[in-house]
Amino acid sequence: MLFWVIAAILTLGASLAVLLPLAGETKNTSAAGDHDLEVYRDQLAELDRDVARGLIRPMEAEEARAEIARRILRLSNAGPAGTTATQRSTRLVATAAVLVVPLVSWGLYGQLGSPDLPSQPLSERLAKNPADSSVDELVARAEAHLAANPSDGRGWDVLAPVYLRMQRYADAVTAYRNAIRLDGDSAARQAGLGEAIANAAGGIVSADAQAAFEAALKLDPANPKASFYLAMGLAQEGRTAEATAAWQKMLAALPQGSPWRGAVEQALAESAARNVASEAPAKGPSADDIDAASSMSPQDRQAMISTMVAGLDEKLRQNPRDEEGWMQLVRSYAVLGKTDQARDALNRGIAVFGADSDQARKFTAFAASLGVTATE
Amino acid sequence: MVETGHFALVLAFALALVQTVVPLFGARTGNHKMMAVGAPAALTGFALTALSFVALATAYAGSDFSVESVWENSHSLQPLIYKITGTWGNHEGSMLLWVLILTFFGALVAVFGGNLPATLRANVLAVQGAIGATFLLFILTTSNPFVRLNPAPIEGRDLNPILQDLGLAIHPPLLYLGYVGFSICFSFSVAALIEGRIDASWARWVRPWTLVAWMFLTGGIAMGSYWAYYELGWGGFWFWDPVENASFMPWLAGTALLHSAIVMEKRSALKIWTLLLAILTFSLSLLGTFLVRSGVLTSVHAFATDPTRGVFILCILTLFIGGSLALFALRASRLTAGGLFHPISREGALVLNNLFLTTATATVLVGTLYPLVVEALSADKISVGAPFFNLTFGPLMVPLLVVVPFGPLLAWKRGDIFAVAQRLMAAFAAALLAVLVTALFIDGASVLAALGVGLAFWLICGAFTDLAVKSGFGTVAPATVLRRFAGLPRSVFGTALAHLGLGLTTLGIVGTLCFGTEKILSMHAGDTVELSGHTLRFEGLYPAQGPNYSEDRGRFALLGADGSIAGEITSAKRSYPVRQMTTTESGISTIGFSQLYLSLGDEASDGSVVVRLWWKPLVTLIWGGGLVMMAGAAMSLLDRRLRVGAPSSRKPAGAVPSASPP
Amino acid sequence: MTRKQKRLSVIAAGLAFLGVATGLTFYALGQKASYFYMPADLATASLQPGQRIRLGGLVEKGTVERSQGATVAFSVTDNQKDVKVTYTGILPDLFREGQGVITEGSFGPDGIFVADSVLAKHDETYMPKEVADGLKAKGVWQESKSD
Repeated sequence: MLFWVIAAILTLGASLAVLLPLAGETKNTSAAGDHDLEVYRDQLAELDRDVARGLIRPMEAEEARAEIARRILRLSNAGPAGTTATQRSTRLVATAAVLVVPLVSWGLYGQLGSPDLPSQPLSERLAKNPADSSVDELVARAEAHLAANPSDGRGWDVLAPVYLRMQRYADAVTAYRNAIRLDGDSAARQAGLGEAIANAAGGIVSADAQAAFEAALKLDPANPKASFYLAMGLAQEGRTAEATAAWQKMLAALPQGSPWRGAVEQALAESAARNVASEAPAKGPSADDIDAASSMSPQDRQAMISTMVAGLDEKLRQNPRDEEGWMQLVRSYAVLGKTDQARDALNRGIAVFGADSDQARKFTAFAASLGVTATE
Repeated sequence: MVETGHFALVLAFALALVQTVVPLFGARTGNHKMMAVGAPAALTGFALTALSFVALATAYAGSDFSVESVWENSHSLQPLIYKITGTWGNHEGSMLLWVLILTFFGALVAVFGGNLPATLRANVLAVQGAIGATFLLFILTTSNPFVRLNPAPIEGRDLNPILQDLGLAIHPPLLYLGYVGFSICFSFSVAALIEGRIDASWARWVRPWTLVAWMFLTGGIAMGSYWAYYELGWGGFWFWDPVENASFMPWLAGTALLHSAIVMEKRSALKIWTLLLAILTFSLSLLGTFLVRSGVLTSVHAFATDPTRGVFILCILTLFIGGSLALFALRASRLTAGGLFHPISREGALVLNNLFLTTATATVLVGTLYPLVVEALSADKISVGAPFFNLTFGPLMVPLLVVVPFGPLLAWKRGDIFAVAQRLMAAFAAALLAVLVTALFIDGASVLAALGVGLAFWLICGAFTDLAVKSGFGTVAPATVLRRFAGLPRSVFGTALAHLGLGLTTLGIVGTLCFGTEKILSMHAGDTVELSGHTLRFEGLYPAQGPNYSEDRGRFALLGADGSIAGEITSAKRSYPVRQMTTTESGISTIGFSQLYLSLGDEASDGSVVVRLWWKPLVTLIWGGGLVMMAGAAMSLLDRRLRVGAPSSRKPAGAVPSASPP
Repeated sequence: MTRKQKRLSVIAAGLAFLGVATGLTFYALGQKASYFYMPADLATASLQPGQRIRLGGLVEKGTVERSQGATVAFSVTDNQKDVKVTYTGILPDLFREGQGVITEGSFGPDGIFVADSVLAKHDETYMPKEVADGLKAKGVWQESKSD
């Protein structure tokens, strides 16, 4: 409503700017010749001043004066321009002009504008009732708060699982680390950190993630998330029997109705299937998309994993001095059953660090545990 | 607030239409009421555009992501200053700034134009209104900054990181003040053509406007050059990039206009030429806008790559350039030619200046457009770079610079070249001395470099000679010299300052190009490097966190002769996560007029870093000279002789109230 | 001289000056304009040894080698042919594998392109114009929606 009032006032003002001069008195303006004469007179006065200052010699001044005088004489030839129009055409143009302002502006604005949409400065959006806000807005609000108070551990603790759910894994890792640093260790935080790290790496349980899960189990031996992912790590390394044992132990300990039962049963089923067909492992269902994972077809899952592994491979090409990464890559190819590629990755990894480096020895030992040897 | 701004912009367009038609009609029919519509329409139009701009800037400052252009070019974590400057750091906002400046200048004509002949004023405002209406229509239909998003995103996509810099805050507004300032000269020219006569007051108006526009354009180009120098991290100050050429062409033509307008003002000669030059200068400004905005040329500036915009701007170009040139062809014969002069005279020197400058403009234009033409006619792609411009522009500039000191010393109408040459003997001796000293005492100075230094000193000493001769130094008593010096018209100081600035810029360019040194090497922490007598020690890389970026800062200690730390230079690799862009922040240490400049490369796997290091002697003079040129223009503007007297029977001639136009 | 002769001589001098300037411009365009090529164009191009050209294309993945010091070697490809390029200096911030690039320089006797400038003046979603046009012409480029 306020907008329309302002728009009306603006239109009125603009129309008056056109209307008033048209309705006003005709000012008696001087002819163009007067202005020119004034300029020439000015030039003559300036000339006199320059002579007085000694900037121009009198001879030159005389000549200049004569020239200006000639120009003044020539002035009389200049006549007024244009002809007088009829009263009627004048009135027509004037009326049209006054009408154009409101008609064009309201018409064009009606086409282009969004009069019902209020301004939404960010601070105002963040200040309104949280219950009305979208998840994005809540996260933005929390981010703004944490940007101002980066040492608020509780804030990080709340935000971290939200990031995880929004699949912003890198942000989740940072948030969990901050929460642990500021508010201390807890099983839930360590397990969450592990999950975030694993998801950020495309579902592969790396050594970092493993360390986090182990820390969680130390604090709470019954933490299901940590146990589940550790078993998954075993499965990814090809130690299927150990993984199956771990999952079965977990299944026995889990209470009826725990959301983890489904995930574990699923993982067991897949692991069994893989044993039969020696197929690739599934991506471990992350805690928040257990349902989604089970509805995924094996082909899709396979494709997804291949993409992830290819991504890792690419990353290593660009940034080869990543010890952890090479081991992950070798393991991934081995688990996928692509032995040639696993061997290739191993050789490339060794080449990066040099054949008799510590890393190379470590790689060889690790690969041997997966049944991959460096050279054929 | 946002919608109010949008509505104000639409209203400004409607008003600009009225401002175009009604005063023009009034001037044709001699209707004073209609002519009087121009001024209030221009003032109200400016107020509405300003309101619109403030609304947009408020949306940027408040991170209102319901506005599409804010969402695309801003981020809530950006520092407030870059939120605000981001308003014109994109295509839509920068076009709004363009029109804001246009209406501002129109409003100035409305306020100060009271002493202009009524028909001239009406026609000028009408032409100004026509330019405004066209550009407003362009903004509203193809580049509307007020397009809304519903629902609004919660976070923006950040301003291009290399534009997050204070240089950006200053560069475009200055450049636009220059570009658009020439629109006034254009409007006056077209108005004169419409009327079929050039009033005596015409020249007095066009010259100060040329000065204003030229001053800002000089500042804008200097600022842009410095920004590219420190922000892009390549250590160069001029790349002959098409976008730079786009701003350089109006500057060259504007410089020519500045000089021919002097002839017109003082001698009533070169009227038609000046008028044509005014049209060409603004046409080149429009062409610059076209080249930059249409995305025809690839550059950081090409925010717009939308072909409909390009076609629209092409239509604007055709309308204004074609229209005004056609009008010129039809009407120029009706204008009376001015006085005659001897080839050896101040006028002759200024004509020579114009000949060189317009030819130089033409070569830059050819070099800029040639690749486009070749690509359109054949499928070949070529690029015309520095070697072309060095070969064509250089040979044109050198003789021009050689004759510069002669110009101001020659008398009007008939000059005595030998007397002037005698007066310049001292300056010539100084230049010769500079050549010899450079050739003999500076290692590795080529003959060309020595001559370049000599040319710069010739210009600098020539500027001082001008002042000395005009105050009678050596011919009259010292007391008289002082009195005369103090009494010199400010425009004389303006000329001397502008030519002095030109000399300083020349010296800076010669110094940097001929005596600069550079090194590229890979350094570990603790390594030292020596370049042209300066020793730097690499202290290592340190991570740091900015508001919306993280960076690796490379610290370098500048070591004194005894090995103590005399200063520190920091260069950084910045990474902006939102756009996933990396920028290099160069490290610069100014020593006298010279600079040590270094930029960081990537960190290698063994922890070493590639460092590129330059020693740039006298480099700051390049931009310092620009500032001195601006000061010269400002000085000229302050000269009271440029003011136009209003016809008045009460006051004696010349006693003009100080509120008359600049 | 009469007034008319004087004016004519001034005009003649001006025209002669313009003529010289025009000649210089065309000479410079013939000598100094550098042509733009994609790797596949080089087979049909007749290049003088040492002639300056611009070479554009994509930085081939996995070919960037940083040797000791500041020299970098990489391959520029249009997915049909590729050319080995060496460059000493700091690569622009936007230089990345798989991204478009324009290099300027000349071929050395060993067939390696020695670049003295490398341009990657474009943002994430955006190719240098010459490169994008060239790739489109070769059918390699797919219009990707820039978001």
